[in-house]
Amino acid sequence: MDSKTALLKKYKRRQRLVTVLPFVALAVLFAVLCLTVQAKGYRLPMYLKILLNEGVVLAIVATGATFIYTLGSFDISLGASTLFSATVGVMVYNATGNFGLMLLAIFGVAIGCSLLSSVLASVFHIPVFVTTVAMMSVLSAVAAQIITANGGALGGISIPAEVVRPFDVMWFKILVLTVFFAVCMFLFDYTKLGRRQKFLGGNPVCAKLTGIDLNKYAILAFIMAGIGVGIGAFLTLVYTPSVTTGTAGSIGMNILVAIVFGGMPISGGPRSKIYAAVVGGFSYIILNNILKILIDSNAGYGISQIVSAVFFLAVVYVTGMNYRSQLLPR
Amino acid sequence: MKKYLAMILAMVMVLALAACGSAAPAASEQAPAGDSGKTVKIGVLVADVSGEEALGFANYYRNYIQSNYNVEFSYTEQLADAAAEKAAIEKFAAQGYDAIISFSASDRATQLQTCIDNGLYYAVASGMLDDAQYEQFKTSEYFVGQIGPSMDTEYEAGYAMGKYFADQGAKKIAMYGAFIPNPMHVFRAAGVLAGIGATYGGASEKDAIVGQIFADQGIDLKKVESKDVELAGYFQGFGDTTFDELFACIGAQPDAFLSVGMATTFFTQNLNDAGIAFSDIDSFTSANGEAMADGKLVYLAGKYSSSIGPVFAAVLNAVNGTPVRDDEGNAISLSQDYLVATDADSFQKYAAADQGDSPIFSKEVLDTIIGDVSYADFSAAVAADRG
Amino acid sequence: MNKSISAAKKLTGALAIPVIFAAVLLILCAANGKSMIANRTGFNYFVLYTAIVMLTTMALSINLNSGRFDFSLGSMAVLASVLSSRISYAMLQGGPGSAAAMLLLGILIGALLGLASGALYVTLRIPPIIASLGVTLIFEGLTFTLTGGKYVMTEVRNASISAFAGNWIWSLLVIAAALFIVIWLFDHTKFGYDYNALKNGQKVAVNTGVREVPNALVCYAICGALMGAVGFLQVARSNSINGGSLNFASISIMFTAFLPMFIGGYIGRYVNEKAGYLLAALCMSMLNSTFAAFSNEVSASAQSIINAVLLVLFLIWLSNERRLKQILRPIRS
Repeated sequence: MDSKTALLKKYKRRQRLVTVLPFVALAVLFAVLCLTVQAKGYRLPMYLKILLNEGVVLAIVATGATFIYTLGSFDISLGASTLFSATVGVMVYNATGNFGLMLLAIFGVAIGCSLLSSVLASVFHIPVFVTTVAMMSVLSAVAAQIITANGGALGGISIPAEVVRPFDVMWFKILVLTVFFAVCMFLFDYTKLGRRQKFLGGNPVCAKLTGIDLNKYAILAFIMAGIGVGIGAFLTLVYTPSVTTGTAGSIGMNILVAIVFGGMPISGGPRSKIYAAVVGGFSYIILNNILKILIDSNAGYGISQIVSAVFFLAVVYVTGMNYRSQLLPR
Repeated sequence: MKKYLAMILAMVMVLALAACGSAAPAASEQAPAGDSGKTVKIGVLVADVSGEEALGFANYYRNYIQSNYNVEFSYTEQLADAAAEKAAIEKFAAQGYDAIISFSASDRATQLQTCIDNGLYYAVASGMLDDAQYEQFKTSEYFVGQIGPSMDTEYEAGYAMGKYFADQGAKKIAMYGAFIPNPMHVFRAAGVLAGIGATYGGASEKDAIVGQIFADQGIDLKKVESKDVELAGYFQGFGDTTFDELFACIGAQPDAFLSVGMATTFFTQNLNDAGIAFSDIDSFTSANGEAMADGKLVYLAGKYSSSIGPVFAAVLNAVNGTPVRDDEGNAISLSQDYLVATDADSFQKYAAADQGDSPIFSKEVLDTIIGDVSYADFSAAVAADRG
Repeated sequence: MNKSISAAKKLTGALAIPVIFAAVLLILCAANGKSMIANRTGFNYFVLYTAIVMLTTMALSINLNSGRFDFSLGSMAVLASVLSSRISYAMLQGGPGSAAAMLLLGILIGALLGLASGALYVTLRIPPIIASLGVTLIFEGLTFTLTGGKYVMTEVRNASISAFAGNWIWSLLVIAAALFIVIWLFDHTKFGYDYNALKNGQKVAVNTGVREVPNALVCYAICGALMGAVGFLQVARSNSINGGSLNFASISIMFTAFLPMFIGGYIGRYVNEKAGYLLAALCMSMLNSTFAAFSNEVSASAQSIINAVLLVLFLIWLSNERRLKQILRPIRS
């Protein structure tokens, strides 16, 4: 009995550590960045502004994607979807000069692309991941075609900077992030949508037997991800009013890194956390910035990527230490 | 607990960020840069970290210029998009840099605006702004200027290459369009078509050919008509089908293979093995020297590593408070021509003139355009043939 | 009698997709006055590309069939080729035997890299997809640091490697050797039996005494060895290595192997699955050569779209085969 109690205490202790570690990592990284920037004599306020700009799109898109990952699914096309939505938004603005229509187009395309992935997967019973790989290829290729055909000698397409400049301010971006996060947190933690998604991700057979419709919740998850992509595409245009074929190229994979870095298991289920994307996304951005400040040379970009990967693996290792089984994880 | 923790941490960060949001210093608050004795810090934006030309440029700044002037260069990683360019400029500003030299072209207007917003001097060292953008920014005190091959120069380089082979009696050629619709490659390819005396979709004028290539996203062989020189094969890009396309071109047994970029990196071995004379627009590297001396590279239009010296001089002048402006007070806009080698001797002449420790734009040459220099003297120095 | 019918059915089932591919593509080429493979050189590169696709597909499927997703395959191939080219060049200065030395070193280094990747996975016991993300970043970072981000050219441009690429027999030998070794390892050894047991029932297999960790390590080493060979074949094909890939730029190679993996899996119902990968690679190579023949009409973007649509259509067929057959039955009768 005593040994059981001791084991339980040990488990709880570890559980607390696992829960707080992503926050501790973020706080420590944030502190290290501040100290490094100060020590180097750089302007800290500007650096913090840069961090927000770099992290906000990733955090928002990844927070929307958390609903998909919670189901144990996987979407690698969100970067391409962000690019495609922004591209269509620019084309619509340039054709109509109407800001409202541009926003409508961005969100319509983002949600539409997400739904298409979801419908293809659920109606035709195709593995979601493979569907999103195909979507990634198609969306990138179509966006590239539009951009290069219309970009001409400039190599990209753009809207007038004045259209979005009023939104390129810190308070607006923080407000958008906060509101979107709050809505997602409410849906995820306080409604049956989130609870059922965690149930489906943890044990789909059991969930189905209790009458939960996987397709319905998959479609809702993809809609949430689509909204995230739409906001991400709009904020991408707010930061730089132009779109090139490389726009948002790194988001697809960084979402995966951000979610895991934030302490959420890649398999989804009941241990999924809505805050993981924001915490993990900003941690990853801050870590990369610290390394780039400290290792300042051309070859240093390779070294900083190695150090960043090692740190990432270490955090994932510690956050997963309470869930190890005899079998190798798959 | 975790929710409270998340909220507390989020609030701390949000407050920190909000507090800092309006605290970015205005340009006027910065310490004056360029005082004698103060190291001038220049950030360099790059979109290519692997190419021979890019590496040659980097070596010139890092090794030669940095050891001869009180200046410090910092290179970015490969910048993938406009957001990465803007973030890189903002980081340089946060680190107290004085100026930006840009080799990256995702969104030059945003780059320039960001430099202006942050009080950084800005110069373009590769490619040029389009006319409308130049007009918009030419009077800004932070826009130092643009010195490099203009799109017209790119067209002329392609034209000269095409004409060279037509004059040599080539009857059948194949062509590599590199990374069309990259604008630089589009203009060069249009020049090649004009140079061999071909029309494209019935057009023979620069703008009409360029417009159609942009619209077609490449060159459609069916639209090429030429009396004297047949374009027997064409391909572009680099992917899974590239080498099949190359060998289809080689199979057509052309008299020459004309490339508007990157062929010396990708295809030298194959073209040498096939015994097909080829040309490229690239740079004067040792590998290209070997290809010209022992291989089948017969024509190279190239930049030399120190061709970016004048941009540095212009930036240093601006930082030191003696900016070079034209008679109307506008930013510098000078096009640099390519040097052309058609045999090992001419190649060696340019290569030897631009060695690492004795570049064409050496300290002695640059010193003549650093300081209080007139626009006429500056442009004359840039235009002088030092090969 | 039944056996011969069964063999005929197997043969038909196995060859149906490659024959359909070949027929459609050849008709398409002929109708437009093009040839899929223009000359001997084209054929050399056709076989070389088949080898690349087959080996990559095998490497992807070995772990993916066991539920282990591996993003690091591309970075493994590039790092193995950088290291093997440097070492072989230091040994032979690009002289005779350089190709063989680089291939063998590539396989060896690839196996070691794969083993390291597997060791990280079994030691940390984190999900393989996550481990592979970290490994990808590390391998890309190492490649960038070793090359300074430059293209590797001098070390891989020599007569020996050109001779390898210039004769399809060499690529065919690589295909045959890889096929033989992989079939032997996975279908005729204790390791293979254990692998199949773990693949089909991890918990049961472990409870019956199958040692999972050594099996996983060997799987990763085999994947690494295959990707080491792919690294060499890519070099033979393109005469250079791009050392400047960072931020997951190397993962795209994996996506090209999805369609052949599913096609190979389908063909594997009739013949050995690995032979299915060869036939699927053949299909991909035919498609690639046709794209090359139509490069003036079909842009790179359009090629990506066609590949993606083919993948989705094939998966729709694969996942709904029974239902589609039911729908088609009345029409047939």
